[in-house]
Amino acid sequence: MLDVIILISPYAIAYTIPLLITALGGLFSERSGIVNIGLEGLMVVGMFTGAFTITKLETVFPGTAIWIGLLAAIIVGAIFSLLHAFACITLNADQVISGIAINMIAGALTTFLARNITGSGNIQILYSLGRKNIPILSDIPVLGKLFFTMSYPTTWLVLVLLLGSWFILFKTPFGLRLRACGEHPHAADSAGVNVHRMRYIAVMVSGAFSALGGAIVIVTYSGEFNGTAAGLGFLALAALIFGQWKPLGILGATAFFGFASTIANVSQVVPALAQIPGILLKTFPYVVTLIALVVFSKTSQAPQAAGEPFDKGKR
Amino acid sequence: MFNKRISVLLVGLLMVGLVVAGCGGGASTENTAAFKVGMVTDAGTIDDKSFNQGTWEGVVKAGEDFGLETKYLKPNGTTEADYIKEIGNLYDAGYRMIVTPGYKFETAIFQAQDKYSDAKFVLIDGTPHNGDYNSVVKDNTVSIFFAEHESGFVAGVAAALQLQEGQVGFIGGMEIPAVQKYNWGFQQGIQYANDNFDTKVAMQAENVVYQGSFDNVAAGQQLAAQMYDKGVKAIFTAAGGVGVGAINEAKSRAKTGQEVWIIGVDVDQFTEGIYEGDKSIIITSAMKRIDQAAYDMVNAEKEGSFPGGETLVFDSTNNGIGIPVQNPNLSDDVQKQITDVFKDLQAGKITVSDEQGDLIK
Repeated sequence: MLDVIILISPYAIAYTIPLLITALGGLFSERSGIVNIGLEGLMVVGMFTGAFTITKLETVFPGTAIWIGLLAAIIVGAIFSLLHAFACITLNADQVISGIAINMIAGALTTFLARNITGSGNIQILYSLGRKNIPILSDIPVLGKLFFTMSYPTTWLVLVLLLGSWFILFKTPFGLRLRACGEHPHAADSAGVNVHRMRYIAVMVSGAFSALGGAIVIVTYSGEFNGTAAGLGFLALAALIFGQWKPLGILGATAFFGFASTIANVSQVVPALAQIPGILLKTFPYVVTLIALVVFSKTSQAPQAAGEPFDKGKR
Repeated sequence: MFNKRISVLLVGLLMVGLVVAGCGGGASTENTAAFKVGMVTDAGTIDDKSFNQGTWEGVVKAGEDFGLETKYLKPNGTTEADYIKEIGNLYDAGYRMIVTPGYKFETAIFQAQDKYSDAKFVLIDGTPHNGDYNSVVKDNTVSIFFAEHESGFVAGVAAALQLQEGQVGFIGGMEIPAVQKYNWGFQQGIQYANDNFDTKVAMQAENVVYQGSFDNVAAGQQLAAQMYDKGVKAIFTAAGGVGVGAINEAKSRAKTGQEVWIIGVDVDQFTEGIYEGDKSIIITSAMKRIDQAAYDMVNAEKEGSFPGGETLVFDSTNNGIGIPVQNPNLSDDVQKQITDVFKDLQAGKITVSDEQGDLIK
């Protein structure tokens, strides 16, 4: 079994990373009290922005174009998420409905733009990000093979962001205030915290991170924008709940999804896995998630005020 | 009061509109010289670089050559009801020739050919049936199939000749006849090259897979990565979006100097495999001339010789399948040998089976 895991590990990690960063974006948003089921749509926006920017620049600056594309995706994702922020925070709209609207408009708008600007609904990038073995570390037995061979630079970028997010959310006054807005916004308000501003920042971070996740999909394993994120955004949302709104929990949940999905995907070509029916492997992560959600439902750590618009006058 | 009057007026207008539209539909059928050609897309977009795009290019070319109006509609889903709705929409808009690509249209066309008996239907890669696979091709419908096994065969011979030795694999989309025939033909092609040209190309059962969908890009990338890790040199992908993932994986490996190849499918995929300058990881592509088929049918309708009621097969004898004319990754020698093999295929000296027999999967 370990052999199999080592064999698929680089690809499973590549699949996990976009999920992780997107779920992390969702964490910021939900911790501040805004449910964001528009993660899927924000990923699509990131995919489009990334792919579009890279195809325009890669012939001029091969190599750096990818990083410019990622940066562009972050910026556009943050701006696009303002739609959700404005509807939910300023207008007190239903957050679920606004999220659905984001999902619907993102796919349609990006495909429309792609068609009209490039002439095709599919944007393919020429060069994807290279994979490298990390020197020295990749020579460590077992661990080196598991984590440090054929890794993308974006993997390490996202792990740094994970660490940074944990630090900001749980070790700084800013993080405490942000979390307070998600637990008891009125208390935070009476303590002088600007709830609206906090929530705007959090939603923009979720937009930036999700779009980064989408763009990472493009520059690593898919290479082509085609107007959909294939449900990754919803999977990230499930991982957020499965991970109980904690950075480490999310890391565990997304890694679980990543490895389980990869095993299901490649089971046919790995003789050791081929005798297990593919349908079992494919449904496995979802069944486990359902069970986990049922088990955790009593002790759910969901932010208390997530999903509720903040009305200053209502105490 | 005023509102009420307006609404009565509107209802009246609508009713007149309906009657006029109904008449209009019936009257234009006699005139075969200028008809409108419509298309309903299958799953995926019009620019899928595969089925939809090929069909549409044929329709558009015919439209331009013969001065016909063309239009495509994209259904909201891929169910029979979605398809029938869009076919109805085209019909109501006066389109009397409707082209539909893909086996998913089989049951929809079965109903449509009765319901719209004055319209002509072209069903590519399928035959109308009532869900029971008992084919019923009415006089206003033509069902078109391709000899994918011959296409896969030629590509298999070409790949084997170019590689000379090593392992090859196959990634298919869903396990449906069109994809299976590509696979079986490809295996026969490899075998033929091994027997007749002394190549040593091997294919292992574990490297022949059907992913199960046409859109799981991530799975395509991961499957290809596993095969390449195991030492497979070339993969034949007949899998739509799953193939996109495999091509992407091959590109990133080729960039680091590894020798990996992909054999493309349906259309010439050379440009999609470019990873540096004009170097591409696509050895060659197993094509079927979907555009040609669509074009030919429109042409036949214009000439008044629409082969209604028939089931046509596009194969090597009518150049309905084959590999691209230009294959920068094939040497001149291989290109020459392939031309001879293709001629033998056309002359019937080589026969390719479209059944599994003792082939893998």
